[in-house]
Amino acid sequence: MARTREMLTGNTSVAWGVRLAEVDYVPTYPITPQTEIIETLAKWIYDGVMDARCVSLDSEHSMITAAGAASATGVRVFTATSSQGLLYGFEMLYTVAGWRVPFVMVNVSRGLSSPITLEPDHNDILAARDSGFLQIHCETCQEALDSILMAYRLAEDERVLLPIFVNMDGFHLSFTREPVEIPDIDEVRRFLPPYQSNHAFFKASQPMAQGLAVIGGSSYSYFKYQMHLASMKALIVYQEVSEEFNKIFGRSYNTTEGYMTHDAEYILVMSNSFSTLGKAAIEKVRKKGMKAGLLRLRLLRPFPDADLKAILKGKKAVAVIDQNISVGKGGIWYSEIAGALYHEKNKPLLLSFIGGLGGKNISAQEFEFIFNAMIKAFNTGEIETPRLLYTEGEWREMERLKSIAGKTYNK
Amino acid sequence: MPYIKNPTVQKDMRVSYSPTYTFFGAEQMLRVRFHGRGGQGAKVASRVLGTAAFLEGYCAQDFPLYGAERRGAPITAFTRISREPILERGVISEPDMVIILDETLLDDPQANPVSGIKEGGIVFINTAHSPAEAKDKHKVAERVITLDITKIGLDMLGLPVLSTLAGGVAARIAGIEEDSLRKAVEKEASAILTDEKLITKNLEASLFCFHAIHSLEVKTTEAIGKESPVIDVPFEPALISSPTINTTGNTPLRKTGNWRVFKPVWNYEACTKCMTCVARCPDGCIAMNEDGFPYTDYDNCKGCLICVEECPVKAIEKVREVHT
Repeated sequence: MARTREMLTGNTSVAWGVRLAEVDYVPTYPITPQTEIIETLAKWIYDGVMDARCVSLDSEHSMITAAGAASATGVRVFTATSSQGLLYGFEMLYTVAGWRVPFVMVNVSRGLSSPITLEPDHNDILAARDSGFLQIHCETCQEALDSILMAYRLAEDERVLLPIFVNMDGFHLSFTREPVEIPDIDEVRRFLPPYQSNHAFFKASQPMAQGLAVIGGSSYSYFKYQMHLASMKALIVYQEVSEEFNKIFGRSYNTTEGYMTHDAEYILVMSNSFSTLGKAAIEKVRKKGMKAGLLRLRLLRPFPDADLKAILKGKKAVAVIDQNISVGKGGIWYSEIAGALYHEKNKPLLLSFIGGLGGKNISAQEFEFIFNAMIKAFNTGEIETPRLLYTEGEWREMERLKSIAGKTYNK
Repeated sequence: MPYIKNPTVQKDMRVSYSPTYTFFGAEQMLRVRFHGRGGQGAKVASRVLGTAAFLEGYCAQDFPLYGAERRGAPITAFTRISREPILERGVISEPDMVIILDETLLDDPQANPVSGIKEGGIVFINTAHSPAEAKDKHKVAERVITLDITKIGLDMLGLPVLSTLAGGVAARIAGIEEDSLRKAVEKEASAILTDEKLITKNLEASLFCFHAIHSLEVKTTEAIGKESPVIDVPFEPALISSPTINTTGNTPLRKTGNWRVFKPVWNYEACTKCMTCVARCPDGCIAMNEDGFPYTDYDNCKGCLICVEECPVKAIEKVREVHT
C-alpha cells in the first residue's frame, strides 16, 4: 500500500499508527473521548485487516496490568485511556514502568472531575509525570499517527525499555478531522523492525521471575535510579529516531518545536493542540512588528533541558501557558522551566499563565494580553505570576449561571 | 461587577482590527457551523462538507461538539475551509454560514444557533417556511435560505436523517463542485452505512438538495473576536464557588418534546382503553383522562412512536410534526 492522504480524526490517526506498527495485543476499556481508537482497532481486527488480539477488560486498572504483563512476554502492546480512566488505573502505571516493559499507551486529555467535564486540559497526563513512562505530546492528527511509530522505536530501544505515553487533546484533536498522510507499510517496517525482547520474555519454556519485592532501600534505590538513567538515555535515542523518521517519511519532530523563535525576543511556551492557536497569535503579532515566537513542548519525559535552553537563551521574556493547574502552586511547566533556567547566565524573565482549563478557549485578546504583559515585564521588571486567563465576558456568564443556581450570599 | 479590575496594560496596547472583505478562496477562511439534534446528522453533514472541500484541494478541518451523547440533545459541528493551512481549532463562534437542521433550536436560548454570525453571513434553516417567513418568525437579521430537507429525507430515504442532505446544501452554498460533493457523499455514507441502496439514495438526495439551492456568493471575513478584557478572578467562598445548584424544581421548565418529527395521535373511536400505550411509554408521558382514554404530554413526548407500534388495535396514528 502506498502513502495516501485522508481526512482523519486524531483518534483514527492513532488507530492507523497502531495498525501500521503491527501491534500484537490491545487490552481496552472505553472512556470518552478515547473510545473511537479502540472501536476502530476492534473493527479492523474483526475484519481481519489487522492481526492482533483485542480484549475488553473490567477496568483501566486491569487493562494497564494486562498491557504490562503482555509486554513482559515480549510482544508488542498498545492501549489507550483518558482522564478519570487513567487515574483509575494509576497504581499500575508505576508498577508496569518498573517492569521496564516498552508498550505504548495513548492518553486523550480531558479535564479531571470535580466538576466533571469532557474537554481537554493536561492535569490527567501530568499526574503520571513521575511514573517512569516517557511522554510525547501532540499538536496535530498527523503528529499523533507519526508519534505512535516513533514511540515504539524509542521505548523498545535497548538503552531505554520503558513504557511511553502519546498524549493528545480530547475533542480538539481526538474528534477533529484534518488531512493526514497514512504512511506506506513497507516504509514503516523499515523504520520499525519487530520487537525482540532480551530482558523480558516470559514464556513457559524459559522461566524467569518478574516484579520482585525488595526490602531495604539500597536495592530499591538502584532500580529506581536505573529507570531515571534509562529515561535520560531516551534523549539521545530520540535524536536518532527522529532523524531516521525524517529520512524515511520526510517529517521532522524535535523534542521541542521552535516556531518563529530564531530571531524572536519574546516567546510563548505551549503544548498540545492549543499550540495551533498560539501560532496564529504569533503570526498576528508579528504583522504588528513584535518579534515573538512560540516554543512547543513535545517530549516532556525525559525533559529536554538542553533543547529548551537553546531556544530560550537570550530572550527578553518568556510566557508559559500551562493548560493545567497544580492547586496550591500554579502551572506545572512553569516550575519545570524555571528550574531548567535557574543556572543560566543570560536567562529571560519568566511569566506564568494558566489557560484553556477544561478546554476553555484562549481568545485573540487573551494572547494579546500575554504579549503586552511580556513587554511590560521587560520594561518595568514587574512580573505578575501566576495569572488565570479569564475574560470579563466569561465572568459575566459565570455570574449569570451562579444566579440561576441560586448562589447568593450577603457580601 | 464589583470584583473586576481592568488591567491597564491591556488598554495601552489594544489592537484595533479592521475587517477586510475578501472573496472566499482568495486568502480567507470559510467557517461553517452546523446545528442539529443528536441522531439527525449534523456531524456527518460537517464531514461531507469537509471531505468535499478536501477532495477539491482545499485545507479542511471538521469537528463535532457534543456532551453526554444522547438522541435529541442539541449538538453542533464545525467545518473550516481555507487555501492556507488552518491555524484554528475548536468551536467556531463567528461563522460565515450556519446550517440549522432543526428549526426548533432557534427557540432554544441555550442552542442559540445564530449567535455570533458575521455581518453578511448566511443562515440556512430546514423548514417548510419561505425565507421571508422564517426570517420574520425567528427574527434573523442575516440572509436566510430555507428548504424542507426533512420532507426530502422522508420522501427520498424514508428516514428523517439529514446528514448527506444538509451536507449537499452546505456544499452548494460554499461553492463546492458537484463532483467533489458526489465523491464526498459516497465516501462518508460508505463509512457509516453497509446498505448499498441506502448509500445510493443518500447520494441522490444530497444532489437533489445541492441543486435545489441557488449558488450564492459568500464573502468571508477575518474573525474579529469579541472585545472582552482579561480580568482578575477574585476569591469567593465555597458557598458560592463550589459546583452545586441550590435552586430546585426547574426540570418542568425544560420542554423535551420539541424535537419530534412525528407525533402520536389517538383515535378514541378505536381505542379499547387497554392501557398498553400507558405502560409502554418509556418517558411516562401517557396518562388517562377522566373518561379513561389515554392522552400524551406533548411538551415532553419525544415522538419515539413505541405506543403506535404497541397498540393492539392500531388506534394511534403517526402524524408529521410541522412547526408553525
